[in-house]
Amino acid sequence: MSGTYFDALWEAHVVESLADGNDLLFIDKVVAHEITTPPGALLIERDFGDALFDPRAIVAVNDHVSPANDAATAEQARHLRGWAKRHGIELYDVGDNGICHVLVPERGFVRPGMTLCCGDSHTCTLGAFGAIAFGVGTTAQAGAMLAGCVVVKRPHVMRVRIDGVLRGAASAKDVALTVVRTLGASGARGYALEYCGSTVETMSMGERMTLCNMAIEAGATTGLIRPDATTRAYLHDRGVPFALEERWYEHARVSGTYAKTIEIDASGIVPLVTWGTDPSQSVPLGQRVPEAANDGALAYMGLRPGASLEDAAIDQVFIGSCTNSRLHDLRVAAEVLRGRRVSVPTIVTPGSQAVKRAAEREGLHEVFQDAGALWTHASCGPCLGMSMGVLAKGMRCVSTSNRNFPGRMGAGGRVHLASPVVAAASAVLGRIPTPSQLDELTGAGVCV
Amino acid sequence: MRISGDVLALPFDGIDTDQIIPAMHLTVIEPSGLGPHLFTGHAELSNRLAEVPTASIVVAGADFGCGSSREHAAWALLERGFRAVIAPSFARIFLENAYTNGLVPVVLARSDVEACLRARSLEIDVDAESISTDGGERFMFTLDPVRKTFLEGGGYLRYLHAKIPAIRTWAAART
Repeated sequence: MSGTYFDALWEAHVVESLADGNDLLFIDKVVAHEITTPPGALLIERDFGDALFDPRAIVAVNDHVSPANDAATAEQARHLRGWAKRHGIELYDVGDNGICHVLVPERGFVRPGMTLCCGDSHTCTLGAFGAIAFGVGTTAQAGAMLAGCVVVKRPHVMRVRIDGVLRGAASAKDVALTVVRTLGASGARGYALEYCGSTVETMSMGERMTLCNMAIEAGATTGLIRPDATTRAYLHDRGVPFALEERWYEHARVSGTYAKTIEIDASGIVPLVTWGTDPSQSVPLGQRVPEAANDGALAYMGLRPGASLEDAAIDQVFIGSCTNSRLHDLRVAAEVLRGRRVSVPTIVTPGSQAVKRAAEREGLHEVFQDAGALWTHASCGPCLGMSMGVLAKGMRCVSTSNRNFPGRMGAGGRVHLASPVVAAASAVLGRIPTPSQLDELTGAGVCV
Repeated sequence: MRISGDVLALPFDGIDTDQIIPAMHLTVIEPSGLGPHLFTGHAELSNRLAEVPTASIVVAGADFGCGSSREHAAWALLERGFRAVIAPSFARIFLENAYTNGLVPVVLARSDVEACLRARSLEIDVDAESISTDGGERFMFTLDPVRKTFLEGGGYLRYLHAKIPAIRTWAAART
């Protein structure tokens, strides 16, 4: 209605407008992983004759616990395999897989102008390509596989304008945390976030994915970035034809009217770390936990109002997840760890097999392992406490993932979200760094 | 449809789906066996559940069900005997999952939610979109008119299945 890129893209996919702002929205690609797909596939098999709308519009990935770590997860992976084979669905599996949100762009499954859904809330990561991509439940994903559509309420469009040059050690992760901090954990509910501005324009596709990945942490339906030359170059490098999407590059030049706009000055962003139990509860490195901080969150995190985060000893560091497991993330973490030793157990999990191999061609695996970190296979890893690297009660982990919810990485486990640079520095120090410690570890003056 | 039952009061904002059902329990290919793990992501919540084992209506703070898309959160609530959740607001994906599975999501103003938090039991008239507390208070709410029709089991997929011919026609005509 308001002529933004998002609106044009949404309207091009509306099969039928329903009551109360709901639309029957056509989905170009369904991403199916082993945790949320099997129950929906079984519903279709039992009640609808196992008929799929278009198996070619589905891509399957074993990613959350891959390879399986017990009989139950083996059954999930086996089910996804059998189902994919039966329907001729392209499947990425052990040895050639990775986190679906990392793998899907690498393999050219997302292009500007597409709609995608997946039984995974971080599907918004793919909005970096000028696509409308959002997480849905198992039944809604099954509906998209059965009928090619989802019933979804059309969000308003909020422009998140980010201008200026990131300084020092500030990264795309810190921009993402700043957006969530500015909006609050539910401040974008009912909205799609359209990120724009000079900071976003100069970001690589990897950085844009980091930014879009955390749209859900502000409660947004999704986040997206209008496609440009950077998008085109990424896709071109991967041999993805873009002729069909040309009109979306044209649309991307139109601005439209936004329901709301927020503006962020990137030059003022410093590395952030969360102190609480939702991703909006963060402070700039070196600042104390707010005096007025939520009691429940602080009690869970074992912190007091006004505490210095660098005083709390940490037990583990995790570098990976759909937020920060791409090559760029691993490079910046490796630069901190090069020639140093970690002082706490540190797990580095590349986002995909392709990322892993690219990192190894650069020798990053040697840097991590020389530093005493564990270099793992590609998967979702410790992020959601389902496979490796689970935390016990009271254990404290600095993580480059996207969620610090209670119990996220294990019952009673405490998670501090941060960028790859801050996580790597924490691994060396065994503590969250002060700004001056981070400067020392990354080179003079980088933490402004 | 009427739902009456005891209240599980969870007066906290932002109860996310990791707290409702931790990921370590998502290792099922059928939505069963989840009930015993409900709210085990946070001791505060599981302790409250243990105090009201007969409860069938959750009354919670804002943004209930935020975070992960796991429909297991709705499945776990249903398996444990819950039929409705009352909150000032719900996260989008949880709200969709609740409707799809017949778990009634009731949005009320915060002051009305607070009255429900004080109640021991509630009666919800889903058709009339009203709630009565055991203290005699009555509140009206509005359900999504489209999703209300999905509340009966399997309604969402049956609805979409019936649309397939129209969707195929639309897809074939797309430019």
